[in-house]
Amino acid sequence: MTVPIEYYVLLSMGLFCIGLFGVLTRRNALMFLMSVELMLNAANINLIAFAFYHGNLTGQVFSLFVMALAAAEVAIGLGIILVLYRNFRDVDVTVPTTMRW
Amino acid sequence: MEGAFDYAPAIALFPLVAFVVALAFGKFLPKKGAIPGIAATAGSLLFSLWMLAAVASGETYHETLYEWAVGNAGGAATEGIEFTFGILIDPLSALMLVIVSLVAFLVHVFSLGYMNAEGETGLPRYYAGLGLFTFSMLAFVFADNLLMAFMFFELVGLCSFLLIGFWFRTKSAPSAAKKAFLVTRFGDYFFLLGVVAIAATFGTLQFAGDASFVNAADAALNGDGDAWVPAGLSTDTWVTITGLLVLGGVLGKSAQFPLHTWLPDAMEGPTTVSALIHAATMVAAGVYLVARMFGYYALSPTALAIIAFVGGFTALFAATMGVVKDDIKQVLAYSTISQYGYMMLGLGVGGYVAGVFHLMNHAFFKALLFLGAGSVIVLMHHEQDMWKMGGLKEKAPVTYWTFLAGALALAGIIPFSGFWSKDEILYDALIVGVNDPVIMAAYAMGLVAVFFTGFYTFRMVFLTFHGEPRSDAAEDPHPVGWSIKVPLIVLGVLAVVAGVANLAPVAKLAAVDITFLEHWLDGEFGAIEGLTYGAYGELLHYDAGVIGSEQLTVLIAAGLSLLLAFSGAGLAWKLYNVPEPVAHKERLGSAGTVVEDNYYQDEYQVWLAEGLTLPLSRAADRFDQTVIDGVVNGVSTVSLFGSSAMKRLQTGIVTNYAALIVTGFVILLLVLGLLGGWFL
Repeated sequence: MTVPIEYYVLLSMGLFCIGLFGVLTRRNALMFLMSVELMLNAANINLIAFAFYHGNLTGQVFSLFVMALAAAEVAIGLGIILVLYRNFRDVDVTVPTTMRW
Repeated sequence: MEGAFDYAPAIALFPLVAFVVALAFGKFLPKKGAIPGIAATAGSLLFSLWMLAAVASGETYHETLYEWAVGNAGGAATEGIEFTFGILIDPLSALMLVIVSLVAFLVHVFSLGYMNAEGETGLPRYYAGLGLFTFSMLAFVFADNLLMAFMFFELVGLCSFLLIGFWFRTKSAPSAAKKAFLVTRFGDYFFLLGVVAIAATFGTLQFAGDASFVNAADAALNGDGDAWVPAGLSTDTWVTITGLLVLGGVLGKSAQFPLHTWLPDAMEGPTTVSALIHAATMVAAGVYLVARMFGYYALSPTALAIIAFVGGFTALFAATMGVVKDDIKQVLAYSTISQYGYMMLGLGVGGYVAGVFHLMNHAFFKALLFLGAGSVIVLMHHEQDMWKMGGLKEKAPVTYWTFLAGALALAGIIPFSGFWSKDEILYDALIVGVNDPVIMAAYAMGLVAVFFTGFYTFRMVFLTFHGEPRSDAAEDPHPVGWSIKVPLIVLGVLAVVAGVANLAPVAKLAAVDITFLEHWLDGEFGAIEGLTYGAYGELLHYDAGVIGSEQLTVLIAAGLSLLLAFSGAGLAWKLYNVPEPVAHKERLGSAGTVVEDNYYQDEYQVWLAEGLTLPLSRAADRFDQTVIDGVVNGVSTVSLFGSSAMKRLQTGIVTNYAALIVTGFVILLLVLGLLGGWFL
């Protein structure tokens, strides 16, 4: 039996909203990174689901790209977090506001 | 004379080089810059004479040397207008070049005795000023278009500022220099407006040639030219208005009423500078400009009548003030204003030859009188009050006789040069005035001024040279050297004989052909088409009438002016040619006080400045500060306030940015959705 497309979309939406919620409410930079990963994965689910639905592989290739991007983003994000910690002795994203203007 | 004109620019460039040399190396030169100045003006004089000879042999020169801007004038002038530097040498400018360079040369020579011998400091600055002055006047004289003329007109004004304020450590000289600059500059604003108006109307600023604004104006008046005339004015009115705007500059520079007040104050400068300003450069520039663009004024009877009336009025007005002055240079200053009034009167009644003739004669005898006054000042150990002089006749014969020649010419006594030109002006005014009451009034004022001229001239001569010495300085005058005497003698001879150039009354009475200047200006040797006396005559709208016959009119005009000149001189003889002259001022009563205070001209101009202009400019300033600045500041306040509100979005907290992005995204989605009709 095939799962209808609506379920994938609902799953992706839920996942995305959890990620968005994390980004908007959490102050810990690491939680930020994880939430962004959740949102990216929500996008990936959509891409793969639609690719499967339309019977074409482009979406799946794109999801591979997104994973590579996510890896790169985490690498840079962790670097930023390390610098953040070194400068502020904390990973709370609300503390460093000195680069406002 | 092949190629003579190729050297025309050198006439003006010589003094410019002298200016640079005197300024840069004057300190190290033996005579502090006098030698290059003398050499340069001598060179200019020689080249000017060469040009005169070339014109006499039938050639003229009109060439554009440098074009510095080309643009579209808009309006009727559809082809682009060109702003150029060019040279125009015709009989008028060739004559004027000789006059200017001759007087400048003699003034330079005179300065050796007047400035160098007196141990002045700042001599390089003085000679540099003279050089620049001569340069700007010569370049003004041969300018071939109105804009170039305007530029050098301004430069002449600047030079007068520099030279009148030569003794800048005193209190009065800088003030006089500022006054001269500002008053003439005030007139020049109108001149500039006139230049712009003429350029916009006719699309050309050339004095001569087919593309001259005179031709364009003539064509426009005849109805077959295209000219831009603003605000539905008639072409007549517009030509008159532009002519009068240019006349503003003339009134300022030539010290005509009501812009004459700077000139008596300008006596604060060295006497040699006064001689140059009054005889050949600055004051002459205004009248020369009218003569230069006479064709344009000839198109407008109204403008001509105004010129004539202002001239006649100024002639009388200034002559009355000259009567009561005690300072020898002040008398000469008012005399200059008065004499330029005569020239304006002559030009205004269409007497182009008479006006130019008087300009020439006046250049010689007024330079002579000023240099003579300079000589007297040296003799008197720098005393200028005539009441402290007296008895110089025997002690300084050269100064006396040359000064007397100048005085006779100024007073208009036959047969000295001033008589011939002044008489011709009055004759021209009379024959036009017969049919025209306004001109008649101007003529009457000019005629009455002859009496005053005779009186103040000989009052000056008698007080200065006759009678008993009235001070120690007059008892034992300081001797003067050759460099003072030679210019006086040269100018003295010219003051006596220059009248030969145009013996018009004799020519009319005896029917002999001796009006050389008239032939010269009529282009019988060489002339540029349209710039001759004959061509101007065709443009004029005046009717010439006579009283009885022409001979009778000539006799009446000459007889009246001679009679008045003699009675003026005679009155001065009676009152002041006594061993111990006394002032007769109290006999004039309150009128004397008014005249002595120059008719309160300065006072009323100061009142105008303080009572009218100052509140007006205050109001303008208030308007500027509140309304204009208010609008500008208001606009910037809005953007300042907006940005100060916007900058609150910048918290530096990543969460807020993320929330903003999401909110924005959701709003965008909603808007697109609503517009796309998803929810309907």
